[in-house]
Amino acid sequence: MKRVVVTGIGVTSPLGCDPEGFFANLVAGRSGIRKLDAPWAVNAHAGTVEVDLDVHFPKVRRIGMDRISMLALLAARQAQAASGLAIDDANAERTGLYWGTGMGGAGTLEGAYQDLLVRKAARLKPSTIVSVMTNAATGQIGIEFGIRGPACTYSSACSSSAVAIGEAFRAIRFGVVDRALTGGAEALLTEGVVKAWESLGTLARPDPARPETSCRPFAADRSGFLLAEGAVVLVLEEESMARGRGANILAEISGYGNTNDASHITQPDASGQARAMRLALAEAGVAPQSIDHINAHGTGTKAGDISETNAIRQVFGGHAGRIPISATKALHGHLMGATGALEFVATVLALRNAVAPPTAHLWNPDPECDLDYVPHEARPLARAEWAVSNSFGFGGNNAVLVARRYHL
Amino acid sequence: MSTLLTVQEMLMAEFDLKIDQVAPGSKLAELGIDSLATLEFLFKLEEKFALDLNSDPTPVETVGDIAAEVDRMLSLKVAETS
Repeated sequence: MKRVVVTGIGVTSPLGCDPEGFFANLVAGRSGIRKLDAPWAVNAHAGTVEVDLDVHFPKVRRIGMDRISMLALLAARQAQAASGLAIDDANAERTGLYWGTGMGGAGTLEGAYQDLLVRKAARLKPSTIVSVMTNAATGQIGIEFGIRGPACTYSSACSSSAVAIGEAFRAIRFGVVDRALTGGAEALLTEGVVKAWESLGTLARPDPARPETSCRPFAADRSGFLLAEGAVVLVLEEESMARGRGANILAEISGYGNTNDASHITQPDASGQARAMRLALAEAGVAPQSIDHINAHGTGTKAGDISETNAIRQVFGGHAGRIPISATKALHGHLMGATGALEFVATVLALRNAVAPPTAHLWNPDPECDLDYVPHEARPLARAEWAVSNSFGFGGNNAVLVARRYHL
Repeated sequence: MSTLLTVQEMLMAEFDLKIDQVAPGSKLAELGIDSLATLEFLFKLEEKFALDLNSDPTPVETVGDIAAEVDRMLSLKVAETS
């Protein structure tokens, strides 16, 4: 079977719009959480992407493009440029696109409903459908970069883009394609979506004095997560081809596990999560005790963090307590369909820089969450060979990716 | 104001175009205005001129074609109401 490597990364995130800036902010413990600047958002905080889309997309280019597609294209341009990969007639049909998103063009959909139901518009904009559909960004990336191989869009809530990366990895590993653009995007900070999340009761209770610290993964005083938006793209290539063209290889992807809990639509299940981790480690051919770092799903919900802690214990046994585990959502927020990809980028960059980002806001440890979560400050990794990134989604899907430092 | 001038002003506002880009012979496709963008623009024209362009569409390729189509529909409307 073929080896699969990462040769380019692009990021539009609450912690910056380039991978190096994103990781530097993460390691420094800076927060990407800001007060939402909207008339309906009285005291709502979220991870927002600070980018002037007008600079990058002239009006004529914006027809049929929701914010989600523009964030995705910006990330794709970065990743393609960083990889130095030219997609042309010779390789376009052997290039795939594997994408993840939770909701697609949520802002356009909500705007259309407001036009129709509030403003009593007689009809909606002709571009509504193509802006809203969950594969909108997939289509736009394919058009801009001339990708003519398989184009698959996965939607499994919080694990969507981890699934996309895993499926892209498999497609290259098994020779379906030679290279892929993969990742995900989300742009759902709209009134209706935020209110719906508030009702579900999984969002963090706002800390009135320090609202940016409200998400506290693995802490005793945790109460949930903060929503965020953004997009992430990775260029994956078959290893010998990447090497052959002199690409700068950032890391290897060596394992992927995907399982379904089949138990409850929101409640996590440690055994399903553990099975996904075991499958990913088995495919990578790595023993649990060789894992040097884990980027946790770590949403900061009461049930979720206990379940993940238990799942890690089940898989890693006595080694579990020795693995530096980072829950980076505390700083960048929960990007939903894009979060798995962003955290996989954090995982790859943790290996490359041999440093585990901090789990922020963990001032009050929870006795039930008793692993090493790298509280407060980033920590150098004594060994940075293998790392795991966990992503678990509503609906019961669990997706786990294994990254390895690249060796010839 | 002539229909052409109105159409040109609306095109400049909708798509951030300069006056020299919206000459009557300018092709929409070359300005980056594809079929979807054209449809969106026709909707705006319908609102501006109180017309129903979709009921009898004529293919439009240039800026001048759009103005001519609006004029044609306006004259039909006058004929219907007189």
